[in-house]
Amino acid sequence: MRSDEELMELYRKGSRDAFEELFARYQGKVIHFAYRMTGDQARAEEAAQETFLRIARAASTWQPKAKFSTWMYTIARRTTLNFLRDEKDDGEKVPITPGEDAGDGPPALQLRGPNALNPEEMAWSAQIQERFVAALQRLPETYRTAFVLNRGDGLSYEEVASVLGITVQAVKSRIFRAREMLMESLSMVLP
Amino acid sequence: MECRDWRERISTSVDGEVPPEETRRIEGHLEECAECCALERKMRAVGIGVARTEGSVPPGFREKLFARMEAEDLLPRRRSLFVFSLRWAVVPVAAAAALALFMLTSADKGKVAVSPRQTTPSAAQTAGEHLTPEEREIIAHLDILEDPSDLDPSEDVDEMEMFVPPGKRHG
Repeated sequence: MRSDEELMELYRKGSRDAFEELFARYQGKVIHFAYRMTGDQARAEEAAQETFLRIARAASTWQPKAKFSTWMYTIARRTTLNFLRDEKDDGEKVPITPGEDAGDGPPALQLRGPNALNPEEMAWSAQIQERFVAALQRLPETYRTAFVLNRGDGLSYEEVASVLGITVQAVKSRIFRAREMLMESLSMVLP
Repeated sequence: MECRDWRERISTSVDGEVPPEETRRIEGHLEECAECCALERKMRAVGIGVARTEGSVPPGFREKLFARMEAEDLLPRRRSLFVFSLRWAVVPVAAAAALALFMLTSADKGKVAVSPRQTTPSAAQTAGEHLTPEEREIIAHLDILEDPSDLDPSEDVDEMEMFVPPGKRHG
């Protein structure tokens, strides 16, 4: 199986199949990332479309030595942020600030017992997902991005640092703060 | 070390970003501290929940993107089977055309080269209008000499022998 970098190089040389393979590998990841960042399916779709377009447009500037996924998430993050900023400028819905929704959210849900924390046995529903999405939107963007890239997309601290252009120590700190805030925000869901 | 000092270490440990020696120290503390042990489980649960929070790939997402890319000429177009076949059909057609052209050209050259007698008389006839009788006789002899079947080999040998130097005739 060809690596992402090999496929990108082939696409730069004019291979349609190479781009289709890259797209197949990453379409889900990009949409999930955009959804966790925006909290909205329609906006996530738009941001993901724009991300792939930008990848294609910037293909000529891509350095073959760079890891494709890191480069792709850098574009995905910037694109998603632009979407959020554009909406803010338009006076539309913006990420909820901490404490803004006190008492307005869906009713508290409880994971069933201690074993619910086990990934294999964790009860999961659309309502719980909504709680997580809402909690993510309450985080400052810098914390949210770091946490989503690490826990949502499986990037290492070093890879997150590369995407965000910060130190590994800064990533560690942001993820810890994001986690603290999420635990507080989701305290009614978590046992 | 107080529990609050363990929190960031536990968070980093949950993400698998601490060296083995540090992991053993954290595990040692978790075995002794129920509060931090519960905290660790919550930290893990938060990460699992975010990982499970997913959007969905809508129907037509791929087609919509590829159409936009093609509009911007960012996606190489896939050739249809017809176009592909047509492209490769050019090779044998071109070869056949080249062969036909070669054969036609050869046939024309063959007419000139293979049957000089058909053209020579006409040329001679044209030129003959301006020739003297002696010149015509020479041309007539040349015409005969051009045809090897008209030569008598035995007579030629005799004539050649007459010009061989005497000293070399038997040596």
